[in-house]
Amino acid sequence: MELTKEEFSIKEVVAKELIIEEINRNHKLLHRHKLDKPSINIGRDYHNDIILADPHVCPSHISIDFIDEQWQITDNQTVNGTFVENIKEKKHAANQHIVCDGDVISLGKSQLRLLFSDHTVEATVAFSPFESFINLMRHPLALFISITFFTLIAGSIIYFNKPIEVNFSQLLVPAIGMSLGFALWPAGVALVSHLSKQDARLMAQLGVSFALFNLMWFSDILETIVTFNSSSDTILPMLATFTSVILAFSLFWLNSYIGFHMSSKRRIVVSASITLLLFGGSYLIQYSKQPDFNPRPNYNATIMMPSFLFTTSSNVDEFIDNSSKLFDQTKQEALSE
Amino acid sequence: MKSFFTLVFIVLSSSSFATEQAEQLFNQLKPSLYQIKLIDKASGEKSSIGSGFQISKDGILATNYHVISSYALHPKKYRIEYLDSKGNTGSLALQSVDVINDLALVKREMDSISSDDVTFFQLAQSAPHKGEKLFSLGNPHDLGMIVVPGTYNGLKKESFNQRIHFTGSINSGMSGGPVVNKQAEVVGINVATSGNSIGFLVPHDKLNSLYQDFLQAPPESIEQQMAAQLTANQNKLMSAILNSPWQAKPLGKQGIIPIIDVPFIRCWGNSNADKADALILTAVANCSLDENTYLSSRFYTGSMEIEFRYMQAKDIGANKFYHLYQQQIAHAGAGNRAGKDNVTQYQCHHDLVMPNNQTINNKIIFCTRAYKKFPDLFDVLYLSASIDKNKQALVSHFTIAGVNQKNALAFTRKFMEAVSWN
Repeated sequence: MELTKEEFSIKEVVAKELIIEEINRNHKLLHRHKLDKPSINIGRDYHNDIILADPHVCPSHISIDFIDEQWQITDNQTVNGTFVENIKEKKHAANQHIVCDGDVISLGKSQLRLLFSDHTVEATVAFSPFESFINLMRHPLALFISITFFTLIAGSIIYFNKPIEVNFSQLLVPAIGMSLGFALWPAGVALVSHLSKQDARLMAQLGVSFALFNLMWFSDILETIVTFNSSSDTILPMLATFTSVILAFSLFWLNSYIGFHMSSKRRIVVSASITLLLFGGSYLIQYSKQPDFNPRPNYNATIMMPSFLFTTSSNVDEFIDNSSKLFDQTKQEALSE
Repeated sequence: MKSFFTLVFIVLSSSSFATEQAEQLFNQLKPSLYQIKLIDKASGEKSSIGSGFQISKDGILATNYHVISSYALHPKKYRIEYLDSKGNTGSLALQSVDVINDLALVKREMDSISSDDVTFFQLAQSAPHKGEKLFSLGNPHDLGMIVVPGTYNGLKKESFNQRIHFTGSINSGMSGGPVVNKQAEVVGINVATSGNSIGFLVPHDKLNSLYQDFLQAPPESIEQQMAAQLTANQNKLMSAILNSPWQAKPLGKQGIIPIIDVPFIRCWGNSNADKADALILTAVANCSLDENTYLSSRFYTGSMEIEFRYMQAKDIGANKFYHLYQQQIAHAGAGNRAGKDNVTQYQCHHDLVMPNNQTINNKIIFCTRAYKKFPDLFDVLYLSASIDKNKQALVSHFTIAGVNQKNALAFTRKFMEAVSWN
């Protein structure tokens, strides 16, 4: 008997506490209140326990009372009413409704989520292994090094492709311009996460993005080397293209990891979609620009200086053999029309 | 003073004699001269004009292939009409063509009544001699039939398919008209001009053999006839090239390139040695076959271009040199004009190749496109770029239009082996 009494009193304490969360339309948390009173008043005037600024809410809108071990909502004949929006049931009037854990009620244009203190929370999210990478990259020194590295590569690419003599400042200006241009992406992501009430983390975004941009340069060079060293029959250059897709996906994944709280499944879907949009979109643009008939041959002219040559060359017979296949291919094409 | 008068008199009399002669010839030949018009069936208006002349009693007219080429390729779209000296018109039927020599035979419907007093041109038995006075007949720019006196200046030098060099002004619309000697015998057919009274004629013996072949066996289909002629001509051209000596010649400091020693391939050279601020010293040698076969206004074939380019870095590193070098070789194009209706798109193959002489290592690109109407004929494009020297490069490139697989590959093989470093 004693024991049950104990148990009862504990239960009463537990049940009496009600957590009321003010949430926005996307169910993002705005404010959280923890109350342990048997009767809670919610409305627009200043006598209430929870004061809502919403003009569609009445001065004394509702009260939630602890009666018979249960919380019950009473609507005070309000102008716009009070409704329960549950996932399980249809939206219905909240008057006399017995509160369940996790119920969402709407008053005017505001929404409240009602939780009991024994509400189970989601499992703790462990730091991902990327966290240490992100922390390293957001360090000012690391950030400075990666941006400098990026600018240097951009400058040298501009230098290599200029057919005329150029001086240092002629290279520096476009190279810095390019770095600033590329910095717009992480800055934009940071801005969006700031606007969506999340932590902007600009330095982390910049650090990670430039680290990935540098990896992309590197994969570009790798791709060129592979293309240079292989004949048109191999698929190795395709694999190199695949690498740049992977890198782009990683960049978007990390951007969203830093900037936005979302489930890992959703993060993968979002980053995959942006990657697809980028590569699919650029493919589509190229495809749409392609003329119906191209009188010029479309070939790969990649050449590099001898130190990048790693394969042995074919001999004339092999080349002639492979070239002779083209005659059959084009003839088939001609005959099929 | 007396001698001067005599001279002037002689000059005057000879020129008036020439005019008289031309007039007489013209009046005599006028009835056998025709304007040939291609009429677009849908619009009913003429789409191209040329001249033609009757060469047989039964109404065979000779003209240029290029006058009626649109009909030969699209017989459903056009019809051929003639306009004679009396202003009569009638339709013509295409009988036979020679695309290589730009000749065509068309036939006029003859009514039996007029066939007795019909006049036609006689073909000369022998070629004219140099300096001989000739008369070109035709209808330039639709202005009416005219006669143009001129001089025979032998066969065009360095040409693969013979053409007569005629000094006299030939204009468009006169194409297909005859050129006669004083005896009113046909010695050539107007075909082209390069302005300033330099005209080109097809020698009469080409017309004679086309006509004789036609009498023996008329072609079954014009398209097949064209295909056979194109194939035969490229065989003739390519065997002449492959069997002639290829001379090794230096290009730039260390390059060795082949110069094909045939008169119809002519070479030109250029370099930027005078440009002090150039980052790369470039020397270029171009060789080409200066003629091509007209198939339609948007489709030429039979041409050949060869280009060699030697490059040497001046004050730049190997990496930059190779970046600029790549830009130089990235945009090779076809040597002949051809459109979607005539050819497929190019398909290419590339690889790193070291010829058996082991003296050079190249990246080589080889592309072909097939002819849609003439199976077994292709346009090929070859581009080879040396990749074994840090600050020197040798590019060798050629395009051949309208060649078969065997000849294209034989030429490619020989060409690959002929380019090397010293």
